[in-house]
Amino acid sequence: MASISHPLDEGHGHSAARQKASFWSTFVDQWIITVDHKHLGLMYIIVALLFFVAAGIQGGLIRMQLMYPNNTFLSPQVFNEMFTMHGTTMVFFVGMPFIAGLANYLIPLMIGARDMAFPRLNALGFWITTLGGILLYSSYFAWTGSAAGTGGAPDVGWFAYAPLTEKAFSPGSSTDFWILSVMLSSIGSTVTAINILATALCMRTKGMTLSRMPLLVWMFCVVSFQILVALPPLTAAQIMLLLDRFMGAHFFDTNAVGDAVLWRHFFWLFGHPEVYILIIPGFACVTEIIPVFARKPIFGRAAMIGASVSIGLISLGVWAHHMYTVGLPSRANIFFSVATMLVGVPTGIKIFNWIATMWGGRIRFRTPMLWCIAFLFHFLLAGLTGIMLAVAPFDWQLGNSYFVVAHFHYTLIGGLLCTLFAGVAYWFPKATGRMLSEKLGKWHFWLMIIGFHVTFDGLHIAGLLGMPRRIYTYPAGRGWEGFNYFSTWGVAIQAVAILIFVWNVLDALIQGKKAGNDPWDAWTLEWATTSPPPEYNFAVLPEVHSSRPLWDLKHPEDPDWKYEQS
Amino acid sequence: MSTAASLPMNPPIDDARNFDKGKVGLISLILTEVSLFSIFVTAYIFYIGKSASGPQPVDVLTVPVWATICLLSSSLTAELAVRAVRQDARSRFLAFLGATILLGAEFMRQTAVEWNKLINTDHLTIATNVFGTTYYSLVGLHATHVVVGLILLLVAFLAALSGANVGKHEHRLHLLSWYWHFVDVIWIVVFTVVYVVGR
Amino acid sequence: MATEKQNAELTVDLPAPTVWPMVLALGVTLVFVGLMTNVIVTLAGVVIFLLAAVGWWRQVLPHEHHETVAMDGNTGPLALPAAIPVVHLRVGKQSSQIRTAPMDRPWAAGVRGAAVGAVAMAGVALFFGLVIRGSIWYPINLLAAAAIPSLATASIEQLKEFNATGLILGTIIHVCTSLLVGVLYAVMLPMFPRKAFWWAGVSAPILWSGLIASTMTLINPALSARVDWRWFVASQLAFGLTGGYVIARTQKIESRQNWPLAVRAGLEAPGVERPGEGDGTPGA
Repeated sequence: MASISHPLDEGHGHSAARQKASFWSTFVDQWIITVDHKHLGLMYIIVALLFFVAAGIQGGLIRMQLMYPNNTFLSPQVFNEMFTMHGTTMVFFVGMPFIAGLANYLIPLMIGARDMAFPRLNALGFWITTLGGILLYSSYFAWTGSAAGTGGAPDVGWFAYAPLTEKAFSPGSSTDFWILSVMLSSIGSTVTAINILATALCMRTKGMTLSRMPLLVWMFCVVSFQILVALPPLTAAQIMLLLDRFMGAHFFDTNAVGDAVLWRHFFWLFGHPEVYILIIPGFACVTEIIPVFARKPIFGRAAMIGASVSIGLISLGVWAHHMYTVGLPSRANIFFSVATMLVGVPTGIKIFNWIATMWGGRIRFRTPMLWCIAFLFHFLLAGLTGIMLAVAPFDWQLGNSYFVVAHFHYTLIGGLLCTLFAGVAYWFPKATGRMLSEKLGKWHFWLMIIGFHVTFDGLHIAGLLGMPRRIYTYPAGRGWEGFNYFSTWGVAIQAVAILIFVWNVLDALIQGKKAGNDPWDAWTLEWATTSPPPEYNFAVLPEVHSSRPLWDLKHPEDPDWKYEQS
Repeated sequence: MSTAASLPMNPPIDDARNFDKGKVGLISLILTEVSLFSIFVTAYIFYIGKSASGPQPVDVLTVPVWATICLLSSSLTAELAVRAVRQDARSRFLAFLGATILLGAEFMRQTAVEWNKLINTDHLTIATNVFGTTYYSLVGLHATHVVVGLILLLVAFLAALSGANVGKHEHRLHLLSWYWHFVDVIWIVVFTVVYVVGR
Repeated sequence: MATEKQNAELTVDLPAPTVWPMVLALGVTLVFVGLMTNVIVTLAGVVIFLLAAVGWWRQVLPHEHHETVAMDGNTGPLALPAAIPVVHLRVGKQSSQIRTAPMDRPWAAGVRGAAVGAVAMAGVALFFGLVIRGSIWYPINLLAAAAIPSLATASIEQLKEFNATGLILGTIIHVCTSLLVGVLYAVMLPMFPRKAFWWAGVSAPILWSGLIASTMTLINPALSARVDWRWFVASQLAFGLTGGYVIARTQKIESRQNWPLAVRAGLEAPGVERPGEGDGTPGA
């Protein structure tokens, strides 16, 4: 790997130091064919944000259709396409690339490495994910072709339940677009996961033992493990579905003793760990940000690691709580109820640890911290509705209702999105060298929070009143109108918040305040280099003596390693 | 701030116990492959004995003893080839690597013969019944992995023949042998499920 | 930290940018697109994939391609002294990571408190039995009814008679619960905001009386149906006041709650500082 050498040492195969190059060739080098983890990380995040806008617009259109009863703004077909594309995009082409971007950007900096373990594989992961997203969206233009029939975008839901996705029920190529683009994204995620594990385990700088490794890196290791174990069920099921669709196999073909529930098992065997794959990186950001803004070390470091690992393991055994309404044997219902509630234990430990970290600290309420605190509130509520849904009889009543929609949007917007905005607000100065505006950031924060609550709080009640998911319209007079009406306005508020965010980012890039190396007075290694970091991250690779290496540097008279055992 | 003299000295650094990135990468890959195979194996077991019509396993499958012997012994030769590299015994390395490739190729030939018989004599295709569906997908997935392994082994063999310094790539060859062992272990599982349990 | 000589002439080898991963991804995508459109697209994808695989191969073997980048030499680990107040890590001191009482009561205090409280509580309960029902066995049998089905269905007259099993089981239940609550008191008292008397003596007994009142129908229906709740609360208060008083009077000892495991286990290890040896300024 990267090693320090004098220019004269070059004996073998090195290209000469980079010459002065034209703007375009530099651009291509740095932003197209690059293998630099920082550029790839930012490219991931930019792509994720582009898809976020697309999927956000789809969500907005869904809400506009549902604003009034008996609305005809979208046709049923287009409505199906909208929620399919919204879900698929948000999970596979917003969530996954965004967390891959964070991992890519932060992990090498945090462990004092010059790049990821497999930089070229990293580029492959980025491009294959991006091309997967482009493939998914090209379905909008695929009205003709050899498989002409019902063309257009996939309309089978992000879960694509077989046998409804068999050729007999989903003719045309739209379902193939879904299968293949998601498969590409899975390849990309798997490659990234392998890379993260190899980087965290093999590229740590001198003295960075596993017990001193930042918690963010630890949590990304857990996520990578989950990706490696939980994505293949989806890929395998998709291969089976492809075989069914293209070669007449019978995996999910109910006419030839194929099983109608098998796909759901395979899909949720992936699908449930997937939600932890999405949220644990959010935990990771919060775990790095809260101590810095509470001016205290993280509370319960070891418990945090233990809780992350146990979430990673338990989450592999809870998938059938998505399937209570299928009609499982009662033993299975009990097992999955209990297993699901068990996840609440390590999650609770984490929430206590975050609160205990803030307890007695000197909290600075800057934007990143505000997002973290909002996350704590939302995630607690989302977790509680999750525990409610874990109870099988409750789920029989409310499964596939808007209560479920409200629940998981609480986890994903109130939880994940808040942490991602926290992460952006926190690491933006490092990545760009510019500070985001606090004023705009707070506008963004408050509008987003208000919009989020206006959108989703009422939907819980609409769900309790019996409003089912995935209906393209509903009759008047069932008591759902008000909740739906306000929910749509909430989306508008969120949209304004996102516009302010975009404005804030652009404004900061053009005329933001210079950030300096360490604007937050933080303790992990990424703040020990310039903002933005040079290509090689650290001219001299740092030595680490404790889990807060920068603390040791800033307080040579009272270093952490005096108090830490490893 | 204290004066420099009273600052605590950094404790002696213990080398970060870093692992080998090739090994970690390969083990991760194997982990995810195991997960992939386990789903196909699950599907196979799930559909055992459920085919309503068409050929049943017990009628058409014969236990592939020779193919299994070939594949399993190729693991041994792969290991011996890696040892030869360590001892810098170039010709021995080439011989064992060549033997590995031949044994792997023989395994693939046996599979081809078996599939040929199943398709043309027994009229069992992937579309015939769920046995055909699960059989061809599971065995085919494994065979795909054998082919990928064979290609990599062949590239290593040709590179070595054309005079590449094999000693320098000992580590890569070592990892390649791990992959080959993994393919073998998967075959043991597939063999057990398809030819022992499923028959 | 880094003591290596910083040299502006230093360079570093980084992996060179390469187009092949992108091309490989394109190849795979085209293979997939071909499945939905035309075999020719798949074939093109395969060709591109192979080209990219060869290109990638040559990028890595026999030597990984690098580009050599000159370093400024002044971007080693940089850090300025912290400008914002922070909480320091401290072994065994409060407010390092957690706020706990520096002083604590020993477990034995809980046991002593439990003993005194148990006697006081039993006294009140027996008095209740004597005054209301004219029998000291009545409350004992009621308590034991949680575990003895025959007592749960017994008439009041039967409950007033001596019952050996009832006495033994009732005593066991009483002693165990008292011990648990006493120890819990010893642990919890330091956490209460001052006025331990109010908390341990009055609030807590009333709170758990409420808890018991709401769950008693499930645990012990016999007791629930026959208990006089005023007397019940009185006996709980008797326990809380006397037990709490005994515990509160006990001498405190130094808490070792947030000493690291190594120190508590008595290990000598590098970096382990025994509490009390460092300077004693707690952070926040």
